[in-house]
Amino acid sequence: MLAFWHRYKRNRSAVFGLVVIVLVVLMAATADFLYPFDPFRLAGKPLSAPGTNGFLLGSDSLGRDVAAGIVHGAKTSLLIGLIATLVAVFIGILFGALSGYYGGQLDNMLMRITEIFQTIPSFIFAILLVAILKPSIYSVVIAISVVSWPGVARLVRGEFLSLKSREFVQACHTLGMSDLRIMLREILPNCLSPIIVIGSLMVATAILIESGLSFLGLGDPNIMSWGFQIGAGRTMLRSAWWVCTFPGVAILITVLAINLVGEGLNDALNPRLRERN
Amino acid sequence: MKNIFKGSLVALALILSSVAAKAQEAGGTLAFLVQPEPPTLASYVSTSGPIGLVMPKVYEGLFDYDNDGKMVPMLAESYEMSADGKTVTFNLRKGVRWHDGEPFTSADVKFTILEVLKKVHPRGPNSFREVSRIDTPDDHTAIFHLDNPAPYMMRSFSAYESPMVPMHLLEGQDIKSAPLANNPVGTGPFKFVEWKKGQYIRLDKNEDYWQEGLPYLDRIVGRFIPDASTRTAAMENGEVMYAAYNAIPNIDAVRLKERDDIDVTTDGYSMINPMALIEFNTKEGPFVDPAIRRAISTAIDRRFMIDTIFFGYGKPATSALSSNYKATNLHAEMPNYPETGDVDAANAMLDAAGYARDGDGVRMRAVLDIIPYGEDWRRAGEYLKQAMGDIGIEIELRYEDVPTWLKRVYHNYDFEMNVNYFYQLPDPVLGVHRHYGTNQIRQGTHFVNSSRYSNPELDALLDSGSKEPDAAKRTATYQEIQEILANDMPVVNLFELEFLTVYNTELKGAYGSAMGAYGSFREAWLED
Repeated sequence: MLAFWHRYKRNRSAVFGLVVIVLVVLMAATADFLYPFDPFRLAGKPLSAPGTNGFLLGSDSLGRDVAAGIVHGAKTSLLIGLIATLVAVFIGILFGALSGYYGGQLDNMLMRITEIFQTIPSFIFAILLVAILKPSIYSVVIAISVVSWPGVARLVRGEFLSLKSREFVQACHTLGMSDLRIMLREILPNCLSPIIVIGSLMVATAILIESGLSFLGLGDPNIMSWGFQIGAGRTMLRSAWWVCTFPGVAILITVLAINLVGEGLNDALNPRLRERN
Repeated sequence: MKNIFKGSLVALALILSSVAAKAQEAGGTLAFLVQPEPPTLASYVSTSGPIGLVMPKVYEGLFDYDNDGKMVPMLAESYEMSADGKTVTFNLRKGVRWHDGEPFTSADVKFTILEVLKKVHPRGPNSFREVSRIDTPDDHTAIFHLDNPAPYMMRSFSAYESPMVPMHLLEGQDIKSAPLANNPVGTGPFKFVEWKKGQYIRLDKNEDYWQEGLPYLDRIVGRFIPDASTRTAAMENGEVMYAAYNAIPNIDAVRLKERDDIDVTTDGYSMINPMALIEFNTKEGPFVDPAIRRAISTAIDRRFMIDTIFFGYGKPATSALSSNYKATNLHAEMPNYPETGDVDAANAMLDAAGYARDGDGVRMRAVLDIIPYGEDWRRAGEYLKQAMGDIGIEIELRYEDVPTWLKRVYHNYDFEMNVNYFYQLPDPVLGVHRHYGTNQIRQGTHFVNSSRYSNPELDALLDSGSKEPDAAKRTATYQEIQEILANDMPVVNLFELEFLTVYNTELKGAYGSAMGAYGSFREAWLED
């Protein structure tokens, strides 16, 4: 573990990304303490500029506190990003493992299904799903997972294909291990590092998709999120820049940080690449 | 130097005079905004706003109304009313043809009124309730026989309100599902050409229009742009030239007004008289008890909604009837309509009615549906959620697309409360009765009594209100009506909307009708 950290911290920008993520997580965790009220609450004078009328980052057209929205929106963004990614990774591993391990007809069938999903433009597909399912936090998570898993499936299949013919796997067969045990206990742990890397990058993508959906008015109207704030403020960008600028910056920084961390993990988990800088 | 100055003055004067003398120019394409995309084009079945923007260019009415409210002959050249007001004879225009070449005759008028508008139109059954029989002695005369005098009927002959439809394309079919709906054939100045879903509706000039020389425009394109900022950008760069019914959000309209080539008007809505409101499901769900509905009306800060969401355009509602009816002495201010909201009084009302708060301070939970007509309404929903949270009613917001929303509210009654706006029109008989009468509980018909409120006492008053010829007695009747409604509140009125039309100043002649954007645009032309 310590050796891993040594490898990770060589990449300075990855450390910076990690610090930012920790801060965002802290912000989300203390949201109810920092801004104990509902972020939709009409807290004061509408369209107050940052620093006036007691609003740190200004207020929007109904007098909602932009700062409170960002803090509470962090919770939504992280939650949706994590859950959607976990679901997508789970589906991806399931499809990829079965397909790579067994090959043949099953592989053929599963990969064709995966390709169907891969050929549909993911954001449009997400919009369609949310529109059909009626906008809510559940439908958003489902939509993001459904459009994200094929990449994982492809990756896992490739890893399984190359690992299943290695000596240690053949040894397991000779010992009479069950297929399930070989897949879960022998092959999967050996391909965890690329999954972790792709998963961390998927969190960033999930946050972006969620923001995009909320921006288009397809997010859950009852839950504060950064995309919602931008969507609600974009009509007055020229007269009240702060309403969508700050949530936009929040998305930018968070997504950037997650990408940096993903990059750092990639370097640290793939020792062969580690000297490339 | 002096000469140059003089010369340029002369030139300027010449330019000015040539502008002033410039006649209407024929030709050109007018692109205007239709927001949102209409669910169908059957203006004889639905009065949904976006349909009204498109179809009066294709279908015509017997009359139009100018900005002073005077009747302008369209498909009818004139009419005579008998002394007792029970017989109205319309002299129809000769030589008018439908877009498919068939002649327009009195049979079309009879069929439209009796078989279409009186049966499937949301407001037709009210407008033409007294019409028992129509005689057609020849092709160009239609004699309406009424059971009682109905002066309000004469206000409802516009192309938007009562479009004349071709009998030969509807007869013997189920009117609501006939193919005419999306392949309209009218007599109007523009012919329907195509409807590209999600993009635009195209109408081309009717070369055989009955009025020589009209219309001026070659083509009208109604564009659907779902995103408000994109709509504003399209207006700014001249891609579209006309945007009515707040298609451009007020915040942008206020900004665009400052430009030389764009102007803003609140004209063209006087026959419409729009009222923002909340409809309640009074039959099932959390709002069966009128005490809760009164408390909600009391808690809402109407002034806040107007000032922050609609940029000051609007008037707080003070009764079930719009204050525009003051002109005919029908409006009276009622209790339970505080302008800036009274949260304490509303809480006291709910306490008194026995709705206690639970540990989270919540008395009840409900879902609020929002009219899917743009950003402003979303903000209104977000405000109402907060306002009702203050009195312990926890709200979940629901936004859907137009067909789903209409189906939920008017077909399935699968809603608890719904933010909407209704047109009160020039007379309560036309615009308000449909909201409250028992005979207006018409499943599947849009914009009628979705609350399913039914009160025999009120029904009797509504009935006498529509037949009473004496003005003073009518005032008293409507006073009583408003008192009942302020107490029962099947519908809570929020505020009277003031719509804005944003237009490019190159577009001329589109503003002569009291119907505004719901007019025909037959005299509209473009100055280049």
